[in-house]
Amino acid sequence: MNLNPPLVIASGPGGSGEYLSLINPKYVGAYTLKTITLNPKPGNKSKRMENSENYIINSIGLENPGIEYVISNIEKFVLKETKTILSLGGDSKDEYIKIAEKIAPYAKKFEAIEFNFSCPNVKKGGLSILSDVNEWQEILENVRKILPNSFLIAKLSIEGNFVEVLSKKVKEFGWNGLTLINCVRGLLIKDGKIVTGGLSGPILKPIALRAIYEVRKVLKDIYIIASGGIYTKKDVDDFLLVGANAISIGSALFKDPQVIEELGKYLKGVEK
Amino acid sequence: MENTYLTKKDVIQINEDTFIVTFNEKFKFDEGQFIMIQTPSLTRKPFILGTWKSNIAVSVQIKGKGTKYIVFEEKKFKAHFPLGNKFIPPAGNGIVIASPTCITLANLLHEKYSCNVLIGSKSKINFELPFESVVGNEDFSKKIKTLKPYDWYLVSGSKQMEEFVLSNIESKNVFVSLEEYMGCGIGACKSCAVFTKDGVKHVCTDGPIFRRDIL
Ligand SMILES: Cc1cc2nc3c(=O)[nH]c(=O)nc-3n(C[C@H](O)[C@H](O)[C@H](O)COP(=O)(O)O)c2cc1C
Ligand code: FES
Repeated sequence: MNLNPPLVIASGPGGSGEYLSLINPKYVGAYTLKTITLNPKPGNKSKRMENSENYIINSIGLENPGIEYVISNIEKFVLKETKTILSLGGDSKDEYIKIAEKIAPYAKKFEAIEFNFSCPNVKKGGLSILSDVNEWQEILENVRKILPNSFLIAKLSIEGNFVEVLSKKVKEFGWNGLTLINCVRGLLIKDGKIVTGGLSGPILKPIALRAIYEVRKVLKDIYIIASGGIYTKKDVDDFLLVGANAISIGSALFKDPQVIEELGKYLKGVEK
Repeated sequence: MENTYLTKKDVIQINEDTFIVTFNEKFKFDEGQFIMIQTPSLTRKPFILGTWKSNIAVSVQIKGKGTKYIVFEEKKFKAHFPLGNKFIPPAGNGIVIASPTCITLANLLHEKYSCNVLIGSKSKINFELPFESVVGNEDFSKKIKTLKPYDWYLVSGSKQMEEFVLSNIESKNVFVSLEEYMGCGIGACKSCAVFTKDGVKHVCTDGPIFRRDIL
């Protein structure tokens, strides 16, 4: 994958291209769409988001219109202004395989296809898909066969198993890239009430850095997209230093969508 | 939609904890639309747009660091706007029932549609308003229960206030301005979802004002 700049909009916070009305697409290497599942999902009940000093907790629950809708409106989902990465998720092995089969005829339209194996906000699928590694390997093997020519990315988190162990499997089954990491499960107490959800934002940075560092030690030649708490040029430098090939921006969009232009220019070498 | 800087012109204290912030800049927006303002917090915060003394204005209730920053500290804000949909009232006589946090929208509607306005404030209001107000829960609930009938109602305040007003008004033409946590304000993040009779809606792109009968 050749992205210029090597800067990606993360799946979820970026929706399905809405931010292109606020940011200059010249500085977006690729736009990852919000995760799509086989069947439509209404998402979790509100409240779906909270933030604290240096983290955000969300429990969106993968609200999405389902793959049939995407296929029927495929031109709307393939963004014209920038390269598009499709993100797919599932509740079971069968669902991951079925969704891969459904998208196969359209796969060429996307720069890459990312499989979300790490959403902490759905009961079935998401993280729990990693709880049976043998079954998960079958997904990797089958999806590679169904989408032989796609640039396949696995999005992992630090939960489920050691991320470097899981990453090796991704490589072993011929996948091309990794997005490291997704949100991790978190909890905050707001007005005396417990709020659980996926943790993102600045607090995630040291965890994501460590994950990439450990994976890069064991895999020299897999494409790694860094995700977790990237807001500043220093963050970009740090992730490149531990071996990331591209940078992903998620929660920082909520603070200032122009972060894309700032970091995009930096990565393109236009600005120091 | 713009993503740019706005500069603060004036700050006017409405009551104990709520302030009108006016801007120097002029831009086009429709009544009902809102703005996302950047603060040191990790997410921008939404405020419903309105007018005050011919300026574009928002009303800000002090809730924490972010709102203190807007009211007391910073003069220049990054923001994106205008967002959400226009509120078009039905024909006839209407009333806006609002808390001080929606006073600038109420003012705009009052000027544009000559509708009545009733502000329900928890604490004493510091100056004379161009429309009616009541202070304290007791007076507010008395007033709502004895309100003359109107052709339409717009309710905009805290959840508690909205629930109370809705349970005391039977009309079909009741509109409610909803507040849900917003990550993006533009329909991307899905954090502002509400489950309605018509399925999942998003406050930022389907609202922020909804007819009561779909809720
Ligand atoms: C509101 C929200 C929704 C998200 N939805 C998804 C999703 O649908 N699919 C996915 O793979 N990751 C999703 N994520 C995870 C992000 O893509 C990203 O990996 C994570 O937030 C960490 O990066 P950040 O700190 O830059 O946000 C979501 C994150 C947030 C905050
Ligand atoms: S605030 Fe992001 S979808 Fe409404």
